[in-house]
Amino acid sequence: MPSEGAAGCGRWSEMLESLLALGGLVLLRDSVEWEGRSFLKALIRKAALSGEQVRILGCEVSEEEFREGFDSDVNSRLVYHDLFRDPLNWSKTGEAPPGGPLGALRAMCKRTDPGPVTIAIDSLSWLLLRQPCTTVCQVLHALSHRTPCPGHSPAVEQVRVLGLLHEELHGPGPVGALSSLAQTEVTLGGTAGLDSAHIVFRRPRQRPTHQTQWFSILPDFSLDLQEGPRLECQPHPDPYTSPVDPTTHLTFNLRLSKKEKEARDGLTLPFQFSSEKQQALLRPGQGQAASHIFYEPDAYDDLDQEDPDDDLDV
Amino acid sequence: MAAVATCGAGAGGTESMAAATSKSNVTSFQRRGPRARGTDSGGPRLVSIAGTRPSVRNGQLLVSTGLPALDQLLGGGLAVGTVLLVEEDKYSIYSPLLFKYFLAEGIINGHTLLVASAKEDPADILQELPAPLLDDSCKKEFDEDVCNKKPESDIKMKIAWRYQLSPKMEVGPVTSSRFGHYYDVSKRIPRELIETSKWHGFFLPEKMSSADKVECCSLTPGYMKLLHFIQNIIYEEGFDGSNPQKKQRNILRIGIQSLGLPLWGDDVCCSENCDSSHSLSKFLYILRGLLRTSLSACIITMPTHLIQNKAIIARVTNLSDTVVALESFVGSERETNPLYKDYHGLIHIRQIPRLNNLICDESDVKDLAFKLKRKLFTIEKISDALKWWSRRS
Repeated sequence: MPSEGAAGCGRWSEMLESLLALGGLVLLRDSVEWEGRSFLKALIRKAALSGEQVRILGCEVSEEEFREGFDSDVNSRLVYHDLFRDPLNWSKTGEAPPGGPLGALRAMCKRTDPGPVTIAIDSLSWLLLRQPCTTVCQVLHALSHRTPCPGHSPAVEQVRVLGLLHEELHGPGPVGALSSLAQTEVTLGGTAGLDSAHIVFRRPRQRPTHQTQWFSILPDFSLDLQEGPRLECQPHPDPYTSPVDPTTHLTFNLRLSKKEKEARDGLTLPFQFSSEKQQALLRPGQGQAASHIFYEPDAYDDLDQEDPDDDLDV
Repeated sequence: MAAVATCGAGAGGTESMAAATSKSNVTSFQRRGPRARGTDSGGPRLVSIAGTRPSVRNGQLLVSTGLPALDQLLGGGLAVGTVLLVEEDKYSIYSPLLFKYFLAEGIINGHTLLVASAKEDPADILQELPAPLLDDSCKKEFDEDVCNKKPESDIKMKIAWRYQLSPKMEVGPVTSSRFGHYYDVSKRIPRELIETSKWHGFFLPEKMSSADKVECCSLTPGYMKLLHFIQNIIYEEGFDGSNPQKKQRNILRIGIQSLGLPLWGDDVCCSENCDSSHSLSKFLYILRGLLRTSLSACIITMPTHLIQNKAIIARVTNLSDTVVALESFVGSERETNPLYKDYHGLIHIRQIPRLNNLICDESDVKDLAFKLKRKLFTIEKISDALKWWSRRS
């Protein structure tokens, strides 16, 4: 059990629960520097302790090595399918189901009792290197969205697939394809001494939420949440801070005082048809001088008053 | 004010023209309901099918995409017999909405639906369609939206007082409109509407049995099955005119969700030099052939951000008729940019087809952004103040 106090105990449990709660595919992306198998084992331990059955497809390490570190009650709940010892089934013992590793996965999906099931794949990279990416995606999708078996209740049964992916082994294509399938994506990283998990939750039809957790894994594969490194250096200063105010150095006045506003509102606009204007138009001659036209003839102006159309015989 | 680009003189200046054809996008001219156009639209196809209208430019039969704002940007609507390709946004949050609007519009108009997906069961997709807004309630929605946005419109106009009584510039809901309806995204469509509608579903995992390993003519088996399915429906239900007994013509709305995902068996998203690199192009080519010879319209959403080979994206764009791309701000640096704080993403109209025409109805407006409000999905032009601002900083 974790050595932290009650607060720490609750928090790691919550975090793992939130990862497992969403169902579907949980993609664990690790790299050479930050290995993910311990995190996978921590998730498996959590699922086993909540009473579920966990089926493991082990391809990269031997069964003994995988089961190392688990308590006996956790180990008793693990159903291990070993592909490490004899991946191509050369010994022909007749145990291996037909169809290779993907057939084994499909068989796991079918043969289950009612209740939530967790399937852990160690690792997806192993499968991707040996099978076409499209087939792996189709099988994973079928696993996470399996239709309930006839005879059981029609409620959708929770199937969780935990897949470990070594992202450095693949190009952006397969990684992107698997990300789009995953409901939860955990990318492992960290700084010196501390591991971090960057978690993206993709709930259907909602915006994805991101979360970063710092942790360390104890020898019995329970998680210990940490605070994170003290000096959070900002590598990218916010480019949008302190914008230039465009209202400085203007040649006109943007802000009016109250008196100025009143004066502006009191103005009669030239095209506003007010009653005074109507009066002025109706009674033009009263007290106003007649309008004059001042005209300076140009050198080229023709001052002939005759109508040029008189010549026409119309 | 509304500058009508073509055929203005011919159609008569006194007629009110649809808002879609004006070059500026803000006009309050509304079309006075479809009249029986005898000879000038041409073609016996235009015996009115519910939910369609002829385009004012060339008489092309149009259906609504379900979003009147998008219809306006596409030149009135989506032409019957064409493909609307929606390039999905990164986390596929908003593109399913456009997909659902298209299908919901089909249900409201009584069109037949064909929903194909490799990811979700079509029955589940149909359960989640948005509910249509009835006339009274949607007027209320719009009024409250407009009031929230422009509080200063209440001030009496002092100079331009003649325009005070003119209708507002936004395309608001027209009561009892037969083309383009509004939907409430927060509510589901009533079950009775789905049950009375006619739809066909294609869910790839059910249709494919693992025994089929036939690779014929470089089309992935999933695509082949889908094309056969579509062809059967078109033939059996007479959408291509093959069944002359059918009196009442109808439109077939096809929706294909997330084409190109590895779940279809296509590895365009997985590798750059994929084996079946022509599979997707062939599929679109054959699909377009099927559509052109039938009364149908198709929407396809495609996760182009996953496609590794950019040449394939260019081919796919050329093979589709109308292409709209959504770019959401989620997870990108633009999310924190204060310029875009009112919006959820950008929408790019990448291509508009030239159907029986030398020019296309391309809008001048290139800076379009969308926002998913609580009940509505709106598309707006990014205001000029923001554009000026973005150039300064």
